[in-house]
Amino acid sequence: MTDPQVAILMLGLFIFIIMLGFPIAFTLMAMGIGFGYYAYFDAGRMWRPYERAVEQGADSWTLFETWISGFFNNRIFDLFVNQTYSVMANDVLTAIPLFLFMGYVIERANIVDRLFSTLSIAARRLPGSMAVAALITCALFATATGIVGAVVTLMGLLAFPAMLKARYDERFASGVICAGGTLGILIPPSIMLIVYAASSGTSIVRLYAGALIPGFMLAGLYLVYIIVRATLNPSLAPKADLSESEGITRGQLAWMLLTSFFPLAVLILAVLGAILFGLATPSEAAAIGALGGLVLAFAYRAMTWKRLQESVYLSVRTTAMVCWLFVGSWTFASVFSYLGGEHVVRDFVVGMDLTPLQFLLLAQLIIFLLGWPLEWSEIIIIFVPIFLPLLPLFNVDPLFFGILIALNLQTSFLTPPMAMSAYYLKGIAPPHVRLTQIFAGSLPYVAMVFLSMILVYNIPGLVYWLPEMIYGR
Amino acid sequence: MERYILFADTVSAWFGKVFAWCVMLMTLGIGYEVVARYFFHAPTPWAFDFGYMMYGTMFMMAGAYTLSREGHVRGDFVYRLWTPRTQARVEFVLYFLFFFPGVLALIFSGWRYASRSWSYWEVSSNSPAGIPIYQLKSIIVVAGVLLFIQGIAQVMRCIIAMRDNEWPKPASDVEEMEKILQEQGGGALEHSAEAIDVVLPSDNQNGGRRP
Repeated sequence: MTDPQVAILMLGLFIFIIMLGFPIAFTLMAMGIGFGYYAYFDAGRMWRPYERAVEQGADSWTLFETWISGFFNNRIFDLFVNQTYSVMANDVLTAIPLFLFMGYVIERANIVDRLFSTLSIAARRLPGSMAVAALITCALFATATGIVGAVVTLMGLLAFPAMLKARYDERFASGVICAGGTLGILIPPSIMLIVYAASSGTSIVRLYAGALIPGFMLAGLYLVYIIVRATLNPSLAPKADLSESEGITRGQLAWMLLTSFFPLAVLILAVLGAILFGLATPSEAAAIGALGGLVLAFAYRAMTWKRLQESVYLSVRTTAMVCWLFVGSWTFASVFSYLGGEHVVRDFVVGMDLTPLQFLLLAQLIIFLLGWPLEWSEIIIIFVPIFLPLLPLFNVDPLFFGILIALNLQTSFLTPPMAMSAYYLKGIAPPHVRLTQIFAGSLPYVAMVFLSMILVYNIPGLVYWLPEMIYGR
Repeated sequence: MERYILFADTVSAWFGKVFAWCVMLMTLGIGYEVVARYFFHAPTPWAFDFGYMMYGTMFMMAGAYTLSREGHVRGDFVYRLWTPRTQARVEFVLYFLFFFPGVLALIFSGWRYASRSWSYWEVSSNSPAGIPIYQLKSIIVVAGVLLFIQGIAQVMRCIIAMRDNEWPKPASDVEEMEKILQEQGGGALEHSAEAIDVVLPSDNQNGGRRP
């Protein structure tokens, strides 16, 4: 078997083992080492000291020792430990625990309920007011925390029953929450973009700048969709009962917005602004964001010793999950490309004789399909690097490709069979809401994700305008 | 066997949780750097190295803790359709094929790597402050040993699950908010100290503030 064939075998076997459900980080590590041992095997390195010992007539214990040390004299072990250390000392990934910590602190800061109730009063005269409020709450809260599951579940418990009580259509109400909560992985400062930056070597700052307009555009599309649907078909979202909020004056409303909406919005803008205008590195901005989150939580009198502990422990667990994937995948990827796997993939794709557009469509289709069974972390850390070396062949910019992926992966939370957002909502929704209704409700949002990808493809300025304005070309 | 599992879980959780506080140190350290730079015009020479050291230490040391709490991602779309017994059988074999070789390599090659670094008191080349990095390289070995200890416990869990056709319950611990809420329903929001307190939309009469 030739080396490239071994590389393909390696990839195939890996996909098979993933399907068996073994933790992916360790599978990658062990397969990287196993196949790497073969790839870097050097008979001379292994046997020469042993043969020399035999010639010198050494005793059997020395022979055994020489054999063992020869056996482990393989460059894969150096490669492995070097890759591990480079994950540990990576200055882009440093931002991950800090953003997670900020997210967990804000998640526990008693803010989402205030936000939703305030916004639903503020939006009460709009068609579909509660859905609009739910979407904005989801988007803001998801952007600040980046934890999709928590956003969808919390909003499912707070906003969803409220919407059903106001006789909103089940499908309509569930779509809003699922799609809104998922925005957190797209709109900066998002952890997914940090992970993409680390995998692809793209500048994280430019990625953030590039993702900002497409992210807001998608949220805007959602908002327009909600208002248009609610206007065309008022039975989906009956008008809000204005009597309940009658006694509230403008001043009171302004105070409510000032204490719920603005602190969070200001915190996000401060973090983002510091990064985009080069005042702080992403890690520094994340640290400031975490401190800001702590202050916010104290201000809402929500921070107890126990909640601080919880936030710390949950941050470390999620960081370990993401970063151990990196440890495995960097070793795996270097062995894969050393064996020539990259060339096989490249020759195969070149042989297909695609135009850049066809290539982009194919790549995004594959990522879309991978999003059905897998989560974004696995897709970006493991599968996206396979596409990255192909980009120069088709003159595709990794930044542009990354934004398309970030948009695309929104769908992975919304499409069956592994639509995490839909399952989170189903888990806490009243029993009469069926999973199929939730899927049906999310479907228009999947369509809007595709629409936004088409828009971004046809108007690349949506991605490039902001980074080029701030940093030049 | 149950006692060993308990022991391993405790050890992993202890190391994971103690080193988890690195995130707090990191927040404060890097936050200090920003303040020092903008308000005192005195950037520190150590904050950059300090940042990645805290990050590297915490995620490596938490590897075993995360494993003991089932925190590492798996592609479980087929896996979760199986009975616990089948899951345990498959996993039992896979632990020997795909877990221990990698972890052993981590320990032994990490040992070689770290001892080389110790032998000349290696310092970071990122700043002239001469910040030592041999201790960070030693973390690789410690993380490997912790994973090895925890891995044995996971294999024992598989054995128990093969016998009882039911996974032994993990020790209770902090869970993601969505998990708590999914298990306890909305009640958790109102009663549990772990979750958030709720302002219901009907409380709006008093301006969103709690009575």
